[in-house]
Amino acid sequence: MMMKSDFWRAFARNKGAVLGLVILIAIVVLAVFASVLFPGDPWDMATAPFQPPLSDDALLGSDMLGRDIASGIAHGARVSLLIGLTSTAAALAIGVTLGALAGFHGGKVDDAIMRFTELFQTIPNFVLAVVLVAIFTPSLTTIVAAIAIVSWPPLARLARAEFLSLRTREFVQAAITTGQSNTTIILRQILPNSLSPIIVSASLMVATAILLESSLSFLGLGDPNAMSWGYMIGAARTVIRQAWWMSVFPGLAIVLTVLALNLVGEGLNDALNPKLARSRG
Amino acid sequence: MTRRLTGIPASFQRGFRRSVHRAAAAGLLAAALAIPGTAALVAAPAIAQETPVRGGVLNSIVQPEPPTLMLGLNQQGPTQTVGGKIYQGLLTYDQKLNPMPSLAKSWTISPDGLTYTFKLFENVKWHDGKPFTANDVVFTTSKFLMEVHPRARAVFSRCESITALDDHTVEFKLKEPFPAFIQAFEVSSAPIVPAHIYEGTDYRANPANNTPIGTGPFKLKEWVKGSYIQLVRNEDYFKEGLPYLDGITFRVIPDAASRSLALESGQVQQTQYSDLEPFEVPRMKTLPNLTMTTAGYEFVAPMAWLEINHRVKPLDDKRFRKAIAYAIDRKFIRDKIWFGLGRVPTGPINSVVKFYDPKVTTYEPNPEKAKALLDEMGLKPNGQGVRATVKLMPMPYGETWTRLGEYMKQALGKVGIAVVLESTDAAGWAQRVANWDYEITTNFLYQYGDPALGVARTYISSNIRKGVLFTNTMGYSNPKVDELFAKASQEIDPAKRQEQYSEVQRILSDELPVVWLLEMEFPTFLDKRVKNANTTAIGVNDTYESVWLAK
Amino acid sequence: MLGFAQLFASRLVKAAAILIAIVVMNFFLVHAAPGDPAMVMAGEAGAADEKFVTQLREQFGLDRPLYEQLGTYVGKIVQGDLGFSYRQQRPVWDILAERLPATLVLTLTAFILALAAGVALGTLAAVTVGTWADSAITVVALLAYATPIYWIGLMLSLFFSIQLGWLPAFGYETIGAGYTGLAHVADVAVHLILPVITLALFYMASYARLTRASMLEVRSLDFVKTAKAKGLSQSRIVTRHVLRNAILPVITVAGIQAGQLVGGSILIETVFAWPGIGRLAFEAVLQRDYQVLLGIFLVTSIMVILFNILTDILYGLVDPRIQVSQ
Repeated sequence: MMMKSDFWRAFARNKGAVLGLVILIAIVVLAVFASVLFPGDPWDMATAPFQPPLSDDALLGSDMLGRDIASGIAHGARVSLLIGLTSTAAALAIGVTLGALAGFHGGKVDDAIMRFTELFQTIPNFVLAVVLVAIFTPSLTTIVAAIAIVSWPPLARLARAEFLSLRTREFVQAAITTGQSNTTIILRQILPNSLSPIIVSASLMVATAILLESSLSFLGLGDPNAMSWGYMIGAARTVIRQAWWMSVFPGLAIVLTVLALNLVGEGLNDALNPKLARSRG
Repeated sequence: MTRRLTGIPASFQRGFRRSVHRAAAAGLLAAALAIPGTAALVAAPAIAQETPVRGGVLNSIVQPEPPTLMLGLNQQGPTQTVGGKIYQGLLTYDQKLNPMPSLAKSWTISPDGLTYTFKLFENVKWHDGKPFTANDVVFTTSKFLMEVHPRARAVFSRCESITALDDHTVEFKLKEPFPAFIQAFEVSSAPIVPAHIYEGTDYRANPANNTPIGTGPFKLKEWVKGSYIQLVRNEDYFKEGLPYLDGITFRVIPDAASRSLALESGQVQQTQYSDLEPFEVPRMKTLPNLTMTTAGYEFVAPMAWLEINHRVKPLDDKRFRKAIAYAIDRKFIRDKIWFGLGRVPTGPINSVVKFYDPKVTTYEPNPEKAKALLDEMGLKPNGQGVRATVKLMPMPYGETWTRLGEYMKQALGKVGIAVVLESTDAAGWAQRVANWDYEITTNFLYQYGDPALGVARTYISSNIRKGVLFTNTMGYSNPKVDELFAKASQEIDPAKRQEQYSEVQRILSDELPVVWLLEMEFPTFLDKRVKNANTTAIGVNDTYESVWLAK
Repeated sequence: MLGFAQLFASRLVKAAAILIAIVVMNFFLVHAAPGDPAMVMAGEAGAADEKFVTQLREQFGLDRPLYEQLGTYVGKIVQGDLGFSYRQQRPVWDILAERLPATLVLTLTAFILALAAGVALGTLAAVTVGTWADSAITVVALLAYATPIYWIGLMLSLFFSIQLGWLPAFGYETIGAGYTGLAHVADVAVHLILPVITLALFYMASYARLTRASMLEVRSLDFVKTAKAKGLSQSRIVTRHVLRNAILPVITVAGIQAGQLVGGSILIETVFAWPGIGRLAFEAVLQRDYQVLLGIFLVTSIMVILFNILTDILYGLVDPRIQVSQ
């Protein structure tokens, strides 16, 4: 692993990544201080319905029941980030475990796990996510679970590839001959050395998870108690002729967040995988 | 008398309905006791404003696409709208819910209220050319519907005997008087099906279900699934010169925005029920080529409410339910969520239904009163201002109901009742409500023209039936209410019946087994060229035999 | 070519095994849902009693033990029978066949557009690396990559349909117009523009970024330097040598993303009221139309496998090594 200062220097060389980080920090601040910036419940019918942006009591306008769009966006940031992070963590747990087992053991274990992975890659993932959430009734838990279940296969493949190549390296072979247990070898020797590409993928997956969550909420499969951006767009969709602002602003929030995460992910890639970074223009 | 030209302007009716209908109802029933039904019919003034012209095809919408058009087997709304042109009942009803002829040309009710005799039109033919006779009516009501139609089963199981006195006379003998019986003969409650096709077969698996054979003024010509259902004129219809229209085409348009566009652009000339999203209604009303009415839904007379499970504390306490009623603003619900469609209810009976009585306990929005009631129960606010937490599972029937759930959460939260919203889909919702696995849900039920048919079922303790939807799922039980509903359902004196229903309305509005939210109204939009449509209590589901298109 | 056929055959066998596994897994999944079609229909009828629900369950075969239902279902699937939707009173295959063309037209057009435009833009960016054109393409790709597709759809229809009135905002064809022949094709094509662009944008962005990166990497490899040294023209080097090699990873990724493309059509079909499989899936879940839902899983999985085979063939056509071996 490289030194911290090297990491930052490499990261900062990518101007987009720095911009992304700034946006991301701003969104995190917005999420953390949502209750301070917009005290009260984002579901409150605080003003008259259908108020256009720049109204006296609703900066970004109000929705069809008179709820403040700006407040919804601030509070929605929490849900988006929370779901993005937890579902990525869950997908990592499934994906890396399976990938590690497949890559480390090889042979029949590898074969079985890879067939299983293919199974999940063959079912169109969004269709599966919709069915899972609809069947197990929408809530934060089921949404996180559904996103994790449809998102782990690429992580498993990545982890498998890393483990396959690292397994043959001298230091792993050495560990095997000294009689260390498989678990120890996997956790102590191989995993730390395969972390960089996994971290990069995970950071990009947070962005994908946020997109997935917003898509589910857009279809009306969000947690009914949690104000989220996708919900706001989905609810406003039918009145888009009369009230563009209800769908435009939450959409911009999603674009900014996902963009920021992607930029940061690229920056991480540059910083953590200097070999690959060279291939960038 | 064969034409139904009850051209009373809907607005006129709506204004007068509340004040006149009780008197009219009482008068009719008195008259109907001994006098042939045709006499009562003269009361509906026939005003033909213009001379009808023959020809033209009416385009409408069918949404969602029904699984079948065999109305005896399926009574979903869309099946009724389309199937109501193919099949007929013995009766239809005017917009004050008085019976009018359909397949029966006249009827008598014996003074003891036990014998109903219907005279049928004589030259009626099924779409396959076979003659329609009393035997078809006997088969339909004593066998077919008893097997497959839950609502008809409840009504016709009250019959001691159903007999064909001759080819064109049917006699129903009841075990006990049941004055609501005469309200149970419109086309969705008791569609008459051909005995020669169904007798002795497996009704649900009969191949003829795909090619419905009825007696109505229109026949099925073609059904391109996912696209349109085309009905054409029945040339052998038993009323000379009718129908006027060459045909009716129902277009399948699953997307709400597309539906309003189709109406706006004139591709369809009629929309009904929930075809248009409520928020579209105010805008569409202003279009010059359209008229909008909410009349024609008197028979269904839907009532929306909060269904509350009394098995869950503190929902079993009527003070808690009253607090809920005071915490909400029903005008807001009507105006902002339903965009003005509907009426604020006072009690269990929809104001367009017989025996409605407005003199009951009513609940104006009053959060302070709600808080006082909760205080009285000992439910004090905790640190977050929460006095009690309840789960609300909004009915998964579209966005309007979702908005309603969101509104409830906020309104109840203001008085310290924290609401956790539960999300579900139609299957999960039906499963959980039927099996009492809920705390509060939203629901609406049709009232079917008479409290004995569509209101009592929600409140009587004999209808606490696990696993069955549209029953007393709350577990509400009051022997006095049971007794009043039971007596009223058998009382043949309309004045006494009114007293009993008035008393039950007073009790229920005080005990609030459910919290009534809205007497729902549906908008029917018609192109101004469409004439004579929507003249009865079943509005768009009627036969359309005398509907015509101005050139 | 024998190797290719063998590869193809083994892939088919593998695909069949995966499909059976998918059927079994999804069978248990959809039956895990609370409520059943009988309850849904009871709810819609507005009145119900015990007998009504029992009759429906018997008719749908829902009263049988689950393993027996599974056995019957798999038995039929193997014979190519997707079952019968009691809900819609029609064979599942008829229902799917009606919706499939719309989805195939949508996804295939979007796939080809995304691949063609993505590779073209990526190439352009790579050859003009560092200039304003490169920056513009990179920024647009980044944005498209970060935007939820349903929102792009809404914004495009807000602008092109509602504001400008240029293109239809929804639907597959003009309702009731009754066009035939070429007029019908033109009508569908006009309706296709917005949904296809919406669906393609995200993947186009992804392929453009990948092409650009891949081209820049290949460009620095030895055989390109050799070609340059031989004095071949710039355009010849780009098309014959660089692009050909650089496109391989793009095709691989395109194959992997096929499932996402098919899944994404649920959203596109919802936004544009496009009468395809995706929306049917959504409706089938809500109505517990088990047979239809299982049929959709099967058919969409087959579509993903076909997309994978398609990309394999593309790979074979493009990969210079396979050409050399011929």
